[in-house]
Amino acid sequence: MSQYASLLIALPLFGAFFIPILKRISKSAVMPFLVLVTLIQTGIAAWVFSEVYITGKPIIIMAGGFRPPVGINLYIGHFATLFVLVIAVTSLLMTIFSFKAVSVEPKDNYAMLFLLLMLGATGMISTGDIFNLFVFMEITAISAYALTAYNKTGEASEAALKYIVLGGIGSSFFLVGVALIYGSLGTLNMAHIAQLAHLISPTVAKAGLALLIFGLAVEAEQFPLNAWAPDAYQEAPHPVTAMFSSFVVKASLYAMSRVIYILSAVEGWSSILRLLIILGTLTVILGEMSALRQSNVKRMFAYSSIAQVGLIAVGLALGTKSGVSASVFHMFNHAIVKLLMFLAVGYVALELGGTEINKFEGLGKRMPVSAFAITVGAISIIGIPLFNVFWSKMQLILAALNAQYTWIVALILGASLVEATYYIRLIHTIWFKGEGEKVKESSMLALVMLLLVALIIVIGIYPEPFWNVMQKAGSDIFNVAQYIKNVPLMEVNP
Amino acid sequence: MNPYYFASIALILIGLYAILAKRSVLKMLVGLSIMETGVNLLLISVGYVSGRSAPILSEGITPDRAVDPIPQALVLTAIVIGVATTAMALSVVINLYDRYKTLNVEEIRRLRG
Repeated sequence: MSQYASLLIALPLFGAFFIPILKRISKSAVMPFLVLVTLIQTGIAAWVFSEVYITGKPIIIMAGGFRPPVGINLYIGHFATLFVLVIAVTSLLMTIFSFKAVSVEPKDNYAMLFLLLMLGATGMISTGDIFNLFVFMEITAISAYALTAYNKTGEASEAALKYIVLGGIGSSFFLVGVALIYGSLGTLNMAHIAQLAHLISPTVAKAGLALLIFGLAVEAEQFPLNAWAPDAYQEAPHPVTAMFSSFVVKASLYAMSRVIYILSAVEGWSSILRLLIILGTLTVILGEMSALRQSNVKRMFAYSSIAQVGLIAVGLALGTKSGVSASVFHMFNHAIVKLLMFLAVGYVALELGGTEINKFEGLGKRMPVSAFAITVGAISIIGIPLFNVFWSKMQLILAALNAQYTWIVALILGASLVEATYYIRLIHTIWFKGEGEKVKESSMLALVMLLLVALIIVIGIYPEPFWNVMQKAGSDIFNVAQYIKNVPLMEVNP
Repeated sequence: MNPYYFASIALILIGLYAILAKRSVLKMLVGLSIMETGVNLLLISVGYVSGRSAPILSEGITPDRAVDPIPQALVLTAIVIGVATTAMALSVVINLYDRYKTLNVEEIRRLRG
């Protein structure tokens, strides 16, 4: 029964390659088909989620019936199922937005790439094989390049080109890391690598891990390799920007934390954690500082997103269970909040023709629902109590204190302060400056935005049940011994 | 130490140099391809055992007389992905040239800040 979970990969793949056929039959059926596929995907993801959380056991899918490490397996554990659900719901909401936001033809290509992006991220999160991870990463990356360039303007091509060059360097680094680990352990299965981790030479393991981290850092928007992100966020179609921020980054961050923790038995492993903490800290500082001087709201949100991602990376690299759980909670909250904010900003850009800050003057009177959505998102990201991000920032601070990193507390509080500066400036512009005619807002999108706002406030008021789920998801990453036990490995001599 | 490792790492570094130092977008993409080739060569040499034949089971070739097949499977996949990336990049470059009328990266700078 649980083998049906492989539909999570199969459905978007077949859906994507059915679209060219569907286009021959009826061109107008493509976008409704996209809604249908994402709706089914959400249904399956919700079913898998309840299955995993009720039984408490991960679902292992073995390709072709071969037991790992001979066959490739999918590992849909507590973390994977949670984020597969987030991906599916995000995609569903963004297909609804795409009806309005995407007007450039050919839309069938857009629909195909959209499904492939969803497939790639789902695969990255649920795979249990390090090379399979590379393949899914490249599927995500190539569809992301194409979606960035989708609007066919010069700027979009420029952003996509930057993304391709950095992504190409990243994927080469990743493969060299894979070659090092395979060369010394002779296996690609993550659970098997974790089982044999004590045999690997520490130098090779650390070099390999550093290369894997740099490879994944492109998609995960960590400091030296995130120059593509603001440009791509600014120029990609609006629904795609929301998807980048809400799950493409998260999938890479997860992959990063997974490859780090499976090698935790290696001697001197904590130096890798320090490397990631430094990268994450620089990401936060540079992201916040750049966000402060943006006059384009979408670009400002992109920098803010980068800074939050840096915080998540720092939390993942604390090396404690509470740090990982707090990071997972922050990932989840950030996915919701940035989905809402990019949706609202994208909608405003469509109606008012741009994302420059002067377009937002008087927005509170012109488009009250979108303005309200942006305001709630901004207040939440700053970390005001009664909104969801407050709790995850709180947990990150507690985890940092437990791990004896006092300066990370200062980093988080300082970042919140800078966020408060630029977001309150934006809120002030929205509500207290300028006048304008009222624009009729689409009731469907208003509903979606209000739904997300409600979710933010519900998590803000009742964080307990969500925090319990996040702790389970966090220990899924952190508890490597349990991970090895869950995968039915075949006895193979190293 | 295997000489193939040095050759492949040299290729990776040459590719990286071309990406970082060249002004022309096309030369950067050539650098990217060189880098990918170096990585593929590295993967192959990880699984290479001197004196053994290709991992195709035919007459006289038993598993203990062939090289490790997994890196070769990985490289096949990586080559396909590399081709897709290059094709994608070139189609973006065509569009870029149409809009900017230049391929010099120093002039392709409308997005900043």
